[in-house]
Amino acid sequence: MDNRLRDLSEQLAAGLIARREFLRKAAVVTGGTAAGLGVLRTMAGAQAKPKLRVWLFKSFVTAGNDVLAKHIETWGQERKVDVELDWATFGDREQKFVAAIEAGNPPDVAEMNLYGPMRYKPALRDVSKVATEIAKAKGGLLPFAEKATKVDGKFLGVPRYAMITVFYIRKDIMEAKGLKPPKLYDPDVVEFAKKTQDAAKDLWGFGQTLNRSDDGDGFMQNILWSYGGGPWDKDGKPALATSNREANLKALQFAVDTIKKHKIQPPGVMGWTDVSNNEAYMAGKLVTTNNGASLYYAMVAKKHELAAKTLLTLTPGGPAGSLVGGSCYNWGIFSKSKHAELGEDLIRWLEDETRFTEYMNASVGQAGPVYKGRADHPYWKSDPNFEAILQNILRSVMPGHPGPMTPAAVEVQAQKTLTDMAGRVVTAGLSPEAALKEAHARVEEIYKIRRG
Amino acid sequence: MSIQAAQLPAKAALDGRGRAVAVGLRRVLGPDYRMGMLFVAPILLLVLALVAYPFGYAVYLSMTRKYVGLPPVWVGFDNYVKLTWDGFFQRAVVNSFIFTFGSVGVKLVLGMAMALVLTSQIRWRGFWTGVLLIPWVAPTVVSALNFLWIFDYSLGVLNYLLVRVFRLLPQGIGWLSEPGTAMASVIGVNIWRGFPFFGISFLAGMKAIPGELYEAAAVDGATALQRFRHVTVPGIKNILIIVVLLSTIWTFNDFQIVYILTKGGPGGATQVLPVFTYEIAFGAQRLGEAIAVALYMLPALAAVIIVLARYMRRGRRS
Repeated sequence: MDNRLRDLSEQLAAGLIARREFLRKAAVVTGGTAAGLGVLRTMAGAQAKPKLRVWLFKSFVTAGNDVLAKHIETWGQERKVDVELDWATFGDREQKFVAAIEAGNPPDVAEMNLYGPMRYKPALRDVSKVATEIAKAKGGLLPFAEKATKVDGKFLGVPRYAMITVFYIRKDIMEAKGLKPPKLYDPDVVEFAKKTQDAAKDLWGFGQTLNRSDDGDGFMQNILWSYGGGPWDKDGKPALATSNREANLKALQFAVDTIKKHKIQPPGVMGWTDVSNNEAYMAGKLVTTNNGASLYYAMVAKKHELAAKTLLTLTPGGPAGSLVGGSCYNWGIFSKSKHAELGEDLIRWLEDETRFTEYMNASVGQAGPVYKGRADHPYWKSDPNFEAILQNILRSVMPGHPGPMTPAAVEVQAQKTLTDMAGRVVTAGLSPEAALKEAHARVEEIYKIRRG
Repeated sequence: MSIQAAQLPAKAALDGRGRAVAVGLRRVLGPDYRMGMLFVAPILLLVLALVAYPFGYAVYLSMTRKYVGLPPVWVGFDNYVKLTWDGFFQRAVVNSFIFTFGSVGVKLVLGMAMALVLTSQIRWRGFWTGVLLIPWVAPTVVSALNFLWIFDYSLGVLNYLLVRVFRLLPQGIGWLSEPGTAMASVIGVNIWRGFPFFGISFLAGMKAIPGELYEAAAVDGATALQRFRHVTVPGIKNILIIVVLLSTIWTFNDFQIVYILTKGGPGGATQVLPVFTYEIAFGAQRLGEAIAVALYMLPALAAVIIVLARYMRRGRRS
């Protein structure tokens, strides 16, 4: 007990002061002490280490995650900063961002996917200075990365790496049949699949879901583009069932035919999620599939027997060429952050070439280049399978292609509009024309909402 | 007459009115209404802060155009009107009803069967009660993820058993890849998870029925079916109604099973309202519209809740 309070209580007990006087003096003493403690706490706080909240993307390439976490922890120790790391993966990152932004409590720094800068624009800080500085030091940004992170003339994300999809082929089966990698979906992939599959042994020539999933949506987007179509025209207006109708119809028909007519896909493929083709491929049930490098990483990391029997090639194309949807993971700093300078310092630290190379080496092809300088890194020659990853990245296009990347284009992808369209034909018996019309109405609606 | 003297009758009139109000309040709310209000105040504040305010705010947001990170813009009933004519929303409503009534109907039958079996003279009754409760106790996410594997066409255990072990089918079934089987599968998982709640509730009700009633019915020559119809069912009627209504509300709002197994696919065949709400909120990031989806069916659910509350109160009185 405070000595002054003890004195007062003794005086009260001795009848030297009245109860009311005791209460008044005790209140003054207690209030003064509390105020003093408050000042002391503020002073102590001023000397405490600053705290930085960092949200990272938990990719399936766990070795890369470990390296990234280690780099950030080292930075925290060196700069005397308390770093609070948190992770979010494919299925929960959007929820985390939405909840945090709406609650007014976003992290200081976050690793975002290519939609991040567009979607969280109102809550993000302009990072043009650090983005430009880093890009300049690395020979400049690749065009797709600039498109993904620059919104209304400002960089809202600092590009880090690109994770792209490639075409996986069972090299051993292909060679045994005397075949070459297919270059076009129709007829190359169809013929390749028919020659290599054995339905009786549950081995299927092609495994590509059209169900609501990132994989399914990516495939549908690519196939529409490769047939010369897509949901948007060059001005960024809806074109699914208008100017791109004929091309889109052919592309949709082909996608559906892989299941219904050619029967080159496993019967349960419309129930697949994003991991199903990975599991089926590693279980030896597929000859070909589309996937990101994470599948190759999983096989290499586990020393799976199929790692050596797998060939990664460029995504097959259509009559208008082979177009692949791009990716660009990037660092964002939220405007609410009180430590924006520390955030920028952390980004510079992580994008240092020595550290990024360590991360890239651990990622087995998943950390593709977003800077011109990194595209020339000898790492991309270290495994013949990396060539397809690199080339697919370099020719990748963004949502909205051939027009600008817009909030509406991002939402059409995020809402899985294209897989719903294919699903309506495969499972609900709609004609491709009707499904295209239905999907177009949805794209128009999104366009109107997002434009308004 | 001084001013003070003139004010006296007015003051007296005011005092009289105040007394009249107090008397009126005492008559309506009881003699200790002041103390009563004091006791009720904390819980009233809690309800206002934790239920009324968030609910009111949700209703307000449902009448706005609200995007992530931006302030809401008032649009009145636009979101509700738009949803009414939206084909995807309409499909989600129909699917929600199929999912709910399909699940609740079968859960009722299975739950009743479970309770009847457990009230009969079987060996290890406690053990079987425990076993049958496992689906109810297991976390839904874990159950759903296991079923995702069970239903897999190529690698799932269900097709393996049907085709390879028991040779009942020449080839497997795409449980989650066809609209009919996908809906049946998600309903099946919901039934598997929910029927123990029915069973255990009915069991508790059946145990409260006096044995003399069954003995009297048997003496009167009632068959087992008649005893069930005229003794068991009336004996558990209130529990039965409460359980069915509660399960209807829970099933209607079930998100995890459908989201994990199908995400509303294939082609929207299993799209139910909670998953649709989620897609609009986090996929489209249109929060106002998403809340409108969630609130759209509120009147129907409110009717269920009112009926439920009535029966619960009646049960308490009896």
